[in-house]
Formats: sequence, structure tokens, C-alpha cells
Amino acid sequence: MSSLQLHQSLAPLLYKPNFLSHLPYPTLRFRSLPVASFSKNGISMSQSHENGVVRNGAQEEYSDSLPEGLLRELMPTHVAVIMDGNRRWARMRGLPIWSGYEAGVRALRRIVELCCKWGIKVLTVFAFSSDNWFRPKVETDFLMGLFERGLRDELENFSKAGIRISVIGGSTKFPKPLQVLITDAMEVTKNNSRLHLIVAVNYSGQNDIVQACQSIALKVKDGVVKLEDINEFLIERELETNCTDFPCPDLLIRTSGELRISNFLLWQLAFTELYFEHSHWPDFGDDEFLEALRSFQQRQRRYGGHDS
Amino acid sequence: MHLILSMWFYILGLVFMFESFLISNGLLKRYKTLNISKVQYLAIVIDSEEALQTLKVLNLLRWLAAIGLKSVCLYDKEGVLKRSKQAITERLKSEKRFKEISRSDPLHDEKGMILEFISSSDGKEAVARAANFLLEKCYSSEIKEKPNFTESDMADALRAIGYQSSDPDLMLVYGPSRCHLGFPAWRIRYTEIMHMGSLKYMKFGFLIKAIYNFTMVHQNYGT
Repeated sequence: MSSLQLHQSLAPLLYKPNFLSHLPYPTLRFRSLPVASFSKNGISMSQSHENGVVRNGAQEEYSDSLPEGLLRELMPTHVAVIMDGNRRWARMRGLPIWSGYEAGVRALRRIVELCCKWGIKVLTVFAFSSDNWFRPKVETDFLMGLFERGLRDELENFSKAGIRISVIGGSTKFPKPLQVLITDAMEVTKNNSRLHLIVAVNYSGQNDIVQACQSIALKVKDGVVKLEDINEFLIERELETNCTDFPCPDLLIRTSGELRISNFLLWQLAFTELYFEHSHWPDFGDDEFLEALRSFQQRQRRYGGHDS
Repeated sequence: MHLILSMWFYILGLVFMFESFLISNGLLKRYKTLNISKVQYLAIVIDSEEALQTLKVLNLLRWLAAIGLKSVCLYDKEGVLKRSKQAITERLKSEKRFKEISRSDPLHDEKGMILEFISSSDGKEAVARAANFLLEKCYSSEIKEKPNFTESDMADALRAIGYQSSDPDLMLVYGPSRCHLGFPAWRIRYTEIMHMGSLKYMKFGFLIKAIYNFTMVHQNYGT
């Protein structure tokens, strides 16, 4: 291992004094030597899926090929992302906001690919908040159309790549064809296990808690659950993230420099490491994701308890 | 290369310390006047192990009072701060700038800072109790319709069982973990969250800077 590579792998553990623990990982970025080359155009149709290994021409990409500086045993199982900044990205470039959203879809495609490659089991993305309905109708209609197009275009690729799709949030406000497509996508991919992609659309963390209580109310009415048995564990089981065995994210990434969770997975984020990234979502790529994961791996997670 | 990175961190540390010194002593113009009215309610989340440093907590509260903050919520998961409440409030009441809030008191504006002490039992457990309250109310009523709860119902239920505090505008997290450690989830939809590092290394200048940065934020609430 070269001196540079050894340094990169050890640096997060050795050099940061405790009184700087709240600062992000150093701004001196070292471009990692990739172990395998990445496809820059998303998951292409030429790829085939075989036993969890994606083959791209003559090159195999295994889920255990991590970039330098990342340790397998410290990889997060569940990553959540608030994909913020698409409109600002477009405005900064003098482009219409639709360009920002389309660039955001490309960035999402890339992150899905990296999660598959690096063995992350669950990726939850905040695509559309229940608050976003207050945006102009032309914009919300565009977003619904973009979601439908994206899902339709990528469904076959996701199936081949072993990606399971779930959609959380209230779908009753969506156009009917989109509702049907979502149901089909979830059904077709339900047995896939390489990566579970959970897309939160028309989602509200508070509403998630309320609908969990609603589900419990029905179970009480049916005699399945007693009133005195209602506790936080029962509520957690009824949240919309019960579609996965790992409902609580290990790491939350929010782009565009905003420092809040904006009604996303309120219950589930209690002990999730929060990483606030300055770049806008369309600019969030390999290097940014790598930096987020490196920062996560150097953190001391105690789940509110004591050091072991 | 090892030496370069090590030096980089120490230089960075010195820069931040120097900046904190300048801010604390009012030497940086932009931090001299804070629009403190933007921080209606501040949450301080402390790692339970660090919350044992009562003197540090007291100092932090004195700094917050000096800045002019009116309402502060202190949280740690294990309830260490709740157990230290008496020691903290007695010490601070003698300074006649603090008033403790209990769950039965409505939050109201008075002279001096209002303090709230909470732990994990005020978070997820409280929501479970509120759910129980809602269901009892639903099934004890004469109307036997299928329940259809809303977010307002949950908020009302939380108030009814004594959890009626405001949502914090800003949350400062002290400790090694960059998470909110189970702070009542219902209350932090739009709360700005800033990680401040260990309580052991807290600096007045860092506190001012964090609050100043918050006052410069514009939220569009999803619109």
C-alpha cells in the first residue's frame, strides 16, 4: 500500500483532536484511486444481473470493492438522503428549474449505483414532502411527471440490478397512472435484495406517526391489540418504514447546507448521524458521497448511551 | 504527509480558537448585534455522560441568559439533567434570572429565562401515551365510527396529557454524536440542528457564532 493510500485510510482515526470533533472531515480532499471504474451514465441496459453481481462488459463490479479509506465493518446499513437544492442549482446556472430536477434524478441514479456497489442495504430518499404541494401547480405537475417517467424508465434496470423499490407517503393525491405504476413497481421488485430503495413522496414524518396510531387503533378495534399494550415499540412497527428490516437510518445526508430534517423520518432519526453537505443535490456525486461515508465512519456512535 | 495533515488540523484549531476569542470579546463587528428575537425557543441537547458536568451546564445557561435568550429546553436521553434540575435551578434562581417550567405550567413570557428539563420519556414514550389517550377517547365515546386521526388530534392529545411546549427554532447538540439523541420527534420538524462538539470544549464565541448563523437562515418550509 502506498504512503498516500495508507495515510488516507488512517487519517480520520489519527489526527483530529477532540476539541475539533464537531468540525467536518478536512477540506483537503484527496481523490481516491477507484478500485473499479464507475459507470458515469447510471445503470445501463447492457448490464446484466447475476447472483448480486453486476456485469458491465468485461468488467465485474462486486459489492465488496470499497474505495480507499472506507472500512467494510463501519459501512452504514441504511442511508437516508434529503435531496435538497435542485432549484438553486438551476438558478445558479441560469437554467429553468426543470433542469435542476432532471439533474437531480441523474444524481440519484448515481447514488443508487454507488449504494449497490458499496454494499449499503437500504437507501431512503426524500423526493417530495407533503409541504411541497404548496409550490406552484405547474411545478408539482412536472415533478409527478418526472417521477412517473423516472420510475417507468428505470424499473427494468432496477429489477435486473436486484433493487427493491418501496414508496412511502400518501399516494392518493397522485395521478391514477402513477398510483398503478407504483403498485406494479413494488410488486415486481419485492423479492429483490441487493438494495432496498425507499422513495418518500408526499411524505410527512408527523403524519407517519399519526398513521401508525391509526393502524394501531384498527388493531385495537379488531381485538388484536389491547389498549394497555400500546407503547413506542408498537408504534415503531406500524410506521411506513416497516417495509424494511432496518427502519432507522444510520446516516442522514442533507445537501444544500440546510441544517434541519424538515419533517422527514422524525421518529426514525433519533440516533441517526446527521451529515449536512454544502453542495446542491445535482452536484452530489462520488467524491461527496465518499466524504460523507468517511465522516460517518470516524464518528463515535453511542445511541445516547455510554462508551462500551 | 502524516505531519502535514496533523499540522493542518492544529492550525485549523488555532484559527477557530482565535475566532472564538475575537467573538467573545466583541471584536468582530458582525457578531456584536444578534437578532435574538429569531430564537424564540432554544433546545440544548447534551450527551448523558457529558450532562454529568453540572458546572459546565450552569455556565452554558449563564451564557445563554447573557445573550438574552428567553426560553431554553434542556434535554438528555437518560434524564441526568432532570435529576440535576434541583441543583441547577437552585443555583440559578439565586441569580434571579431563571424560572423553571413544569409540564403543568403554560409557557408564558416573564422576566428572566424559562427553563424546561426533558428526557427520552418526553419523546417517544409521550407519543405512545398520547396515542393511548386518543384511543381511549375514541372508544369510550358513543360514536362508534372508524377512527380517523389527524396531526392536530395528536398535537391536542399531547397537550391534554401535559406536553404543551413549543417547537424549538434551534437545537444545539453537545457531545460526540451528531444526532439529536431522541429529542421529542414531534417537536423538531423545522428545527435547525447544529453540532457544537463536546461540552468540555464549549466556548462562548462558538455559541454566539452558532446563534448568529441561525439568525441568517431563511426557511421556506417546503414551498
